[in-house]
Amino acid sequence: MSAATLSPMERLPAPPPSSPSLAVAPVAAMSAPAADLPPSRPIIDIDHVDFFYGQSQALHDVSLRLDEKKVTAFIGPSGCGKSTLLRCLNRMNDLIDGARVAKGSIRIRGIDIHAPAVDVIELRKRVGMVFQKSNPFPKSIYENITYGLRLQGVKDKGRLDAVVEKSLRGAALWDEVKDRLHASGLGLSGGQQQRLCIARAIAVEPDIILMDEPCSALDPISTSKVEELIHELKKEFTIVIVTHNMQQAARCSDQTAFFYLGRLIEFAATRTIFMNPSNPQTEAYVSGRFG
Amino acid sequence: MASTRIPPSPETQADATPAATSAGFLANKARFRFFGLTLDGCIKAFFGGNAVVAVLVLTLITIFLFKEGGGFFAQNRANLQIYRQAGLEYVDFIRAQTTGHTALTHELSDLRLRQFHRLTEAGKSLAEANAALAGFDEFANQFGDAIIPLRGLLSDLTETATALKSKFATTENLKIARQQLLAAGKTAEADKIVISEVNFDAELKPLLGTLPAYQAASAETAAKITAALTVKPALPTPELQARLEQFKMLAAAYVADFPAVEKNLRAWDYRQPVPFFRSITSFIFGRDWIAQSSWQEWYGILPLFVGSLMVSFVALLFAVPLGIGAAIYINQLASPAEQRIVKPCIEFISAIPSVVLGFFGVIFLGENLRLLSQQSWLAWVPGFPFSERLNILTAGCLLALIAVPTIFTLAEDSLNNVPRAFKEASFALGASRLQTIIKVIVPASLSGIISAVLLGLGRVIGETMVVLLCAGNRIAIPDFTAGLAVITQPVHTMTGLIAQEMGEVPVGSIGRHALFMIGLVLFFLSLLINWLAQKIVRRYRIAID
Amino acid sequence: MTSPTATHFAPRPGLGRTWERGALWLFRVATYFIVLCGAFVFGQIFWRGAPTVFTAHAPFVNVAFFTEAPESLHVFAYQGEKMELGDRAFNAFKAAHADAGAIKDDSYVYSAGGIFPCIVGTMLLVAGSMGIALFLGVSSAIYLNEYARDSAFVRFIRLAILNLAGVPSIVFGLFGFGMFVIFFGWNVSLLAGWFTLAFMVLPVVITASEESLKAVPKGFREGSLALGATKWQTIRKNVLPYALPGILTSSILGIARVAGETAPIMFTAAYVVRDKLPWEGLEKWTDFFFQGVMALPYHIYVVSSKIPQNEYTARVQYGTAFVFLLIVALIASTSIVLRSRLRNRYKW
Repeated sequence: MSAATLSPMERLPAPPPSSPSLAVAPVAAMSAPAADLPPSRPIIDIDHVDFFYGQSQALHDVSLRLDEKKVTAFIGPSGCGKSTLLRCLNRMNDLIDGARVAKGSIRIRGIDIHAPAVDVIELRKRVGMVFQKSNPFPKSIYENITYGLRLQGVKDKGRLDAVVEKSLRGAALWDEVKDRLHASGLGLSGGQQQRLCIARAIAVEPDIILMDEPCSALDPISTSKVEELIHELKKEFTIVIVTHNMQQAARCSDQTAFFYLGRLIEFAATRTIFMNPSNPQTEAYVSGRFG
Repeated sequence: MASTRIPPSPETQADATPAATSAGFLANKARFRFFGLTLDGCIKAFFGGNAVVAVLVLTLITIFLFKEGGGFFAQNRANLQIYRQAGLEYVDFIRAQTTGHTALTHELSDLRLRQFHRLTEAGKSLAEANAALAGFDEFANQFGDAIIPLRGLLSDLTETATALKSKFATTENLKIARQQLLAAGKTAEADKIVISEVNFDAELKPLLGTLPAYQAASAETAAKITAALTVKPALPTPELQARLEQFKMLAAAYVADFPAVEKNLRAWDYRQPVPFFRSITSFIFGRDWIAQSSWQEWYGILPLFVGSLMVSFVALLFAVPLGIGAAIYINQLASPAEQRIVKPCIEFISAIPSVVLGFFGVIFLGENLRLLSQQSWLAWVPGFPFSERLNILTAGCLLALIAVPTIFTLAEDSLNNVPRAFKEASFALGASRLQTIIKVIVPASLSGIISAVLLGLGRVIGETMVVLLCAGNRIAIPDFTAGLAVITQPVHTMTGLIAQEMGEVPVGSIGRHALFMIGLVLFFLSLLINWLAQKIVRRYRIAID
Repeated sequence: MTSPTATHFAPRPGLGRTWERGALWLFRVATYFIVLCGAFVFGQIFWRGAPTVFTAHAPFVNVAFFTEAPESLHVFAYQGEKMELGDRAFNAFKAAHADAGAIKDDSYVYSAGGIFPCIVGTMLLVAGSMGIALFLGVSSAIYLNEYARDSAFVRFIRLAILNLAGVPSIVFGLFGFGMFVIFFGWNVSLLAGWFTLAFMVLPVVITASEESLKAVPKGFREGSLALGATKWQTIRKNVLPYALPGILTSSILGIARVAGETAPIMFTAAYVVRDKLPWEGLEKWTDFFFQGVMALPYHIYVVSSKIPQNEYTARVQYGTAFVFLLIVALIASTSIVLRSRLRNRYKW
């Protein structure tokens, strides 16, 4: 291959091939700013994962540990595999033909989620998800939120009412919609719809909430509301957020993982990633030189 | 269940053990299971099972058509075998000879009719015209009477052969009855049935013994015809004279063929077995479909197949230009308001049930087309005027109305799929609308249009009620010597024949099996058309990419 | 040359222009010719059929035509007066008039009375076969659209559906006759007709259902699954309810097809004439399914091919065709209208 056709991958220093530096280094990096972050234990343990869509490999040997009740941001240019990894965490990739984890394992609370004994339905109850495009069901707000609970067989009206209020308050939507709980969820504005989806996700009380570019379709005001919400939510939930917007990652996450071409380049506390990245690729990306 | 849990990695183990219960997404819940499937698995299997129905139906159609039609060839062979064994074939050699003569006499009577017209047009009265034709009549009568000796022989032989055939049929029936009794365990009653095998050798003796009589009759006929041909009646115009000369040549050739017939008769041997492939070829290439005849049943699909093709061809002749023209107009030229109104209208036509169209043809279109054809200003149209109100043209017009919505909808779809950029690029180069349509849009969607036409053909060839009611139902290959006028002749079609005869043929009879064979032909024909259409569309997709 | 632009862009009259205009007009003529032909068939049948179906005085509809069974029409002259009476009326007339025994009458079968049994039969056939077809078709579509992954087997199923759609209706009739009537021994019966017709419209229903299922956004499924719903819960609560209106309206087109086809029921379900209505004289309730019925399309076939045409028979011929065409046209236009309205309503 001639020098003129060098891919960015080759121009930039390749990520360390062996796992110890990656798997351990982030932990070390994370423990370094222990002074400003409360100590916590890992809830998600991604271990040397190779992921394929049919023949094409989307993730190369990714290892990561995410902490409980923290916000972790996945950043990186389009097609770098961040969404793929996110969708691995609650096995939404199962729905795609030919998608598979070829190597490695993902453990949540120590349990390999791809093990045959794991019930994917139960897994998804524990690991909620908010999508890029807000997708409220064409039902009333009330029914949108109670959907998950009703699936679990909860019929008690009092309890459902309580959950609706709690979830809507949790999603900072209660005051805006409390008078029209039985109006269609499709009648809300874009930002409200997305918060409704978040309320819907937290109504089933998951441990982890995955957010796949939740603000990419929202205007700045709605975005800031959702970001505030994320801040509130991390008191109770572990949050993993995929974002294109580096300011957003800087504003609302505790730890940040930078992906590039299907590889994890760097994983550290958000401040470290943005102020003092150890990898030149990361620096190039966060300073806006490519991506 | 918990034992199947994969041990967590050493570094997380300390955390994992207490947390495992709270994670709670192991399948440690006792889920409902049925044959080792979870509820969701069962539901999926249920839906999957339903999805297979389409495959199942297609398979069952094939199986049942083969099951009911499969016995046909064996039965047809037996049918042909007895045709030979009972001497029917022998008799038919002679019959062909008399049929040839009949055709020649038809020619003569046509000649007479024309002369007569000519004479009356020239101002002669009927009596005068008849008198003028006396010479010709004498000639014609002489020619006509020449066949009498042969015809007498033929009717005797026909009786003999028919008797032998029915004797054989009776024996066969007795055999079946006996077998049924034996199967039912009634041995005593079965033994009472006396079966005397037909001795063809002996029974055919009288038939074959007529050969000298045939020779005599044949020679007499030949002599009479030759004698008749020496007469030279004068005809009024050179044109008719030429036709008479031609007739004489035909007649001479006909007589010259007599020795060949005799040779056939001599060489004929009832013991010669009928090979199995004859059963198949007589189905595929047979020019007669005569079911339930006292003489011999013939099952040749050719007239029906040709009938179906002719009707479909006429239908497409109208439907293709109209359907594609309308598709181009609606897709490329019409205003949005026009599109909104006209498109559903055309689609709506497809909702007219075919039996209503057939009814319309019987009660209105057939008669009115016939009246129209008799208008003198339309005499230039080939085949006009015609007298049969139900014919290929009537059925074809109505079938066109059935094919148009199919062709229109599919062609419009494929025009719609042409990327806008093609059109814009063409306009940008200064092409006019017509040029753009002809040079860019239509070629780009050509395979879609072709497959639309093919599916229209499939629709038309499988259509039953319209052809049953309006095609005239005459089982014969139309006379192609008439040129384009052939489209005003009545035909019968494959679909129409099935619908017409299905209710009348008894269970297990060769006639019913034959109908199912037609069904098989139709079935595979439709699969073939479908396959072709799909193949063309698929190629087109690749081309666009 | 004072104003070059004006001359450059001015239209150039010429042969090409005229040709082009002519050709474009040809396309327009073709389009409207088709519409006219269709309208003419409709118009002719409505125009000639209306006098049979409607009456000049209240209730403006020929009630007898809709509520009575077909009868023979007897035409005769009595005391210098021309009379036209149906079977029952004719017998009553003969009983009432002692001297009527010697009347010479011309009788025309099916030309009096009404078509009530045919309407009933057609409705029964449509209801049963659409029930079966919807059940099988919607289930197939759910499997193909929700569960199936792209595999050789699924491609094979799709191929089969595509091919099934092209099989001529008479072949379905032969198949139904061979399988249900003969092999299963159901004889000419409702049940045999139901299954034959259901298999015939199956491709229509499957295609319509799949289209409607596809129109439900993917987000509904993902959102539901991400909340821990099982596949079936997702389909039942969050996909089917939104697809169902589309499935049903598109399937109405299937109804038009089922109601309109004659060839498949000719040897499987239809009787030329049957005195009893389907619910009369049943010994067991199961007998209901094993009886043949009269059907409108078959009746039209019978009256248009098996009886002579004259002023007396034409009335019932056109009347039956009118009613039948009206029913089918109503069904079809309902489908077309509902479908376009639905498309406008559901925009996710």
